[in-house]
Amino acid sequence: MRINDLEKLENEGLERLTSLERRRFLQLGLAVTGVYLGGTILSLTPVAEVQAAELVPEVGQYPYSPHYAMVIREKFCIDCERCMEACVKTNDVPVYGFRTTILERRRTVAGGAHETIFMPVLCNQCNRPPCVRVCPTTATWKDKKTGIVVMKPSRCIGCKTCMTACPYNARYFKEENRAVDKCDFCWESRLSKGEKTTACAEACPADVRVFGDLADTKSRVFELLHTPETIIWVLRPEVGALPNVYYVNV
Amino acid sequence: MKKGLSALVLGILLFSGACLMAAEEQKSPEEYDEDTYGPLAPIIWEKPVKSVIFEHKNHTQGAGLECDSCHDELFPMEAGASAEKEDFTMQTLYDGGYCGACHDGETAFASNTRCTTCHIGVRGHARLSGNAPAAEGHGAKE
Repeated sequence: MRINDLEKLENEGLERLTSLERRRFLQLGLAVTGVYLGGTILSLTPVAEVQAAELVPEVGQYPYSPHYAMVIREKFCIDCERCMEACVKTNDVPVYGFRTTILERRRTVAGGAHETIFMPVLCNQCNRPPCVRVCPTTATWKDKKTGIVVMKPSRCIGCKTCMTACPYNARYFKEENRAVDKCDFCWESRLSKGEKTTACAEACPADVRVFGDLADTKSRVFELLHTPETIIWVLRPEVGALPNVYYVNV
Repeated sequence: MKKGLSALVLGILLFSGACLMAAEEQKSPEEYDEDTYGPLAPIIWEKPVKSVIFEHKNHTQGAGLECDSCHDELFPMEAGASAEKEDFTMQTLYDGGYCGACHDGETAFASNTRCTTCHIGVRGHARLSGNAPAAEGHGAKE
């Protein structure tokens, strides 16, 4: 809901306002106040968050640098699961766990035939991560530089609240270290060691997973998300988590 | 009186039996002849990627192709032989080899479209072989 529209509405009373709506309104107020009082330092809402309010941030307004993102070319996924195999190997994922999965949807198409759509899912590295918000021990947070949602297993008490909060079911409890484990865009296993892409993206034979820096206007993720007439979607946008995993069909 | 009743019961029994027989007979002309149409069981390729399906039935009985439309020029009859060849790739299909001989966008849908029609994936294969999708292992819900 935009503030202009809000002003035109009758006061419904607080009891009928959803908590999300209330929170958003408050945030807006705080952001505006912060700016009014002299800019970013006094703003209680991080400027990064305000700037990232659109699904795909406007060019030059990326909250992070590098702003890691993944574009999934959904219709090319054939569920060969090489991405999952590569992830398991690279990130030491136990047999009962997962950092990325592939969902399947089947529907009837014209002529009575069936169509199958495979949907790769991983941590969306949200700009407003619900999992970070609920963690009682700050065992998970958004890396200030890259925007990756990282975990510190030694700080995790295994309450699993983050697993409940995640809109994408992207977290699991790892018995081995008694902590929640999740995708970190291969930060620990690869990116921090100088590799340029994730294990899953590298393993994909159909070029479904495209990984890169959205803030780099020459990167392929940027190009895919800024091609004219391209339809871009994210999973569960209604949550307002502002994901960094985008889906396209080109 | 008693005789009449038993005759009636017998009559009903015979009639329903006949009905069932007729239903059976209607089915039989559509019966699948493996000698004419090729093996009924779907072919599943695991190489070079998991898991790709081919059904003789759709191509012979369904599309009216003969055995020698594909054998042995495009595909050897020996099971799994094509998968061992190095050129058994999508690129070869785009260049008109293997399935690409017909799946070129004119005779049948092009090889670079409708991927999941043939690529049923690990999940599709699991469903065919009667296992619940990803019953054990990664991504399984408890």
